[in-house]
Amino acid sequence: MSTEPASTGTDSEERRRSGPIVFLTRWIEGLSETQYAYLLLGPVFLILGLVAIWPLASTFEMSLHANSLTEPLGEFVGFDQYVGVLTGEKELVRPLFDLDYPLQSAIIVTFLFTVVSVAFETVLGFGQALILDRSFRGRRWVRVAIILPWAVPVVIQGMIFYLMFDPSVGFASAPLQQLGILADQPLNDSASSLLIVIVADIWKTSAFMALLILAGLQSVNRDLYDVAEVAGASRWQRFRRVTLPLILPAVLVAVLFRTIGAMRVYGLVVASDAGCSTVPTLSCLVVETLLSTNQYATAAAIAFITAVIIGVFVSVYIVRYAQEVV
Amino acid sequence: MSEPTPDADGESESGWIERTVHRAIRRPERLYRVLFYVAVLGFLFGTLFPLYWLLVIALTPRELLTTVGLTPNGFHWQSFIEVFEVVPFHMYVANSIMLALGTTAIVLVVASLAGYVFGRLEFPGRRPLLLVVLAISYFPPAAFFVPLYRLFAGNVSLLGLSSPNVLNTPAALLPPFTALFMPLAIFILTTFYAQIPDGLEDAARIEGTTRLGALVRVIIPLSAPGVATVAVLTFIYVYNEFFFSFLMTSGEFTDWSPLVYGIRNYQTQYTQLYNLMGAASLIGVVPVAILVAVAQEKIVSGLTAGALKE
Repeated sequence: MSTEPASTGTDSEERRRSGPIVFLTRWIEGLSETQYAYLLLGPVFLILGLVAIWPLASTFEMSLHANSLTEPLGEFVGFDQYVGVLTGEKELVRPLFDLDYPLQSAIIVTFLFTVVSVAFETVLGFGQALILDRSFRGRRWVRVAIILPWAVPVVIQGMIFYLMFDPSVGFASAPLQQLGILADQPLNDSASSLLIVIVADIWKTSAFMALLILAGLQSVNRDLYDVAEVAGASRWQRFRRVTLPLILPAVLVAVLFRTIGAMRVYGLVVASDAGCSTVPTLSCLVVETLLSTNQYATAAAIAFITAVIIGVFVSVYIVRYAQEVV
Repeated sequence: MSEPTPDADGESESGWIERTVHRAIRRPERLYRVLFYVAVLGFLFGTLFPLYWLLVIALTPRELLTTVGLTPNGFHWQSFIEVFEVVPFHMYVANSIMLALGTTAIVLVVASLAGYVFGRLEFPGRRPLLLVVLAISYFPPAAFFVPLYRLFAGNVSLLGLSSPNVLNTPAALLPPFTALFMPLAIFILTTFYAQIPDGLEDAARIEGTTRLGALVRVIIPLSAPGVATVAVLTFIYVYNEFFFSFLMTSGEFTDWSPLVYGIRNYQTQYTQLYNLMGAASLIGVVPVAILVAVAQEKIVSGLTAGALKE
């Protein structure tokens, strides 16, 4: 760490030198482990503080005030915004939770989207991971092909499925309409749009699941399979008794990441041209409340409600994950 | 693929089926292998078909664009040139790449330090801080949007100084991108750094290396696969990003608007240009497709070695 080219000096020589770098180095050496840790964490919390924690605190502050068009902050109203939004007294672009209009309520739409797409992604991702875990000729290119959708930008993913399901250009709508699954104008109908958005999400993110599950598969000690085989376990028994229990933690973490991601879905809804008015997810509701009605305090309250819902939804996993990561 | 037993050529139809069934019962390994390749083909079809169909759309002449099936109705390759004439699409792609590279650089430096601290040091407050980082990733991007937008628009003042208006510059995009992808980067690097045996760092310290020296010369080189993984993932995520890309820029390529607007310009201004939407989408996939093909080992083995190994 010395500035001089001849840095072979012993400790005592080093100590005699001066200069800012040597001083800094020696100062760092003198710190306790805790002080050193916080020193290195400085930049992280500077950046996260400015672009994550401050905006969140500021959003929270807004949510405690009334909407105001002239002032940065309206009158202080405590938790009235939350009460209004949660009880349904506050008129929103789309209801948060209304059983009379299930596919227009943000919580129900988000929940349906998350559960259905994550379930399919887990199953398909598992299948893909099992394939990628084996060695066969051309595996390299199969792997590229399977990962590719995951890397496709959201706007292009939305475009693909918009084109495919557009009744005038695409081929996918006509047969499904004959079966009565899709409406005449699928991207203007809530149920049809939700289905299309779910299919698009499964196409793109199954690969993400596959990669995380594959990571779990490859950390399984191969000797265990040999032992199981010698002990007379069938292929299915080897999978059921050896593979599954060992990779379950990896699968759970993958499900956690995907659940958080799916519950925040926004870009896909806009990019596929389904639009926030047809598929009002929670993130959509925040943006629409903000941009089309300008009620930023209400939007802030919905954003926090969304975060709390996500937090509750995955708290089971956090406890697990916090134990495992340490 | 339909012939599980190549040596059965020339047999009569019924005899062939019978023999195949017998063979499958006697030697199930063969059947498994056939099923395996059927599954491989199924997944390949599922992942690649939508991209192939973009090509079909792109090659179909505009006047024949009705219910395009599995093959193009014509061969209008000029679409791939018209794409750039109608919208300066290459500029949008270039903006996206520059923004992705910038974010990756920031995330790498900062998340490496954090990953080292969380992965290798024991100190009071470690768990709560990790949970703060995790909790940030629960919030929908919309929760950050209003204050950040006002900050970047120059409407926030501190001590009488108002913030500069940086909308439509990288300064309005890099910070939110960094905040969005930092938590994941920190988690990946934490597990990577935690795996390096303590003995190596201790040895370097006993040899007289300073703390920072040990970090730079021992720890970072050993965690290179993790660092490379984070770099690849961050680049792909930023190139993918929709929310802030869409809301923080004007839509003009001169204003650093990324790919999102490049693609959507065909949709909003020229609603009939379906074939150009297809062509532009394919071109937009090229950079990440190359990255996936080149760095697939980094993406897969990087995650394998680090992200999940508890």
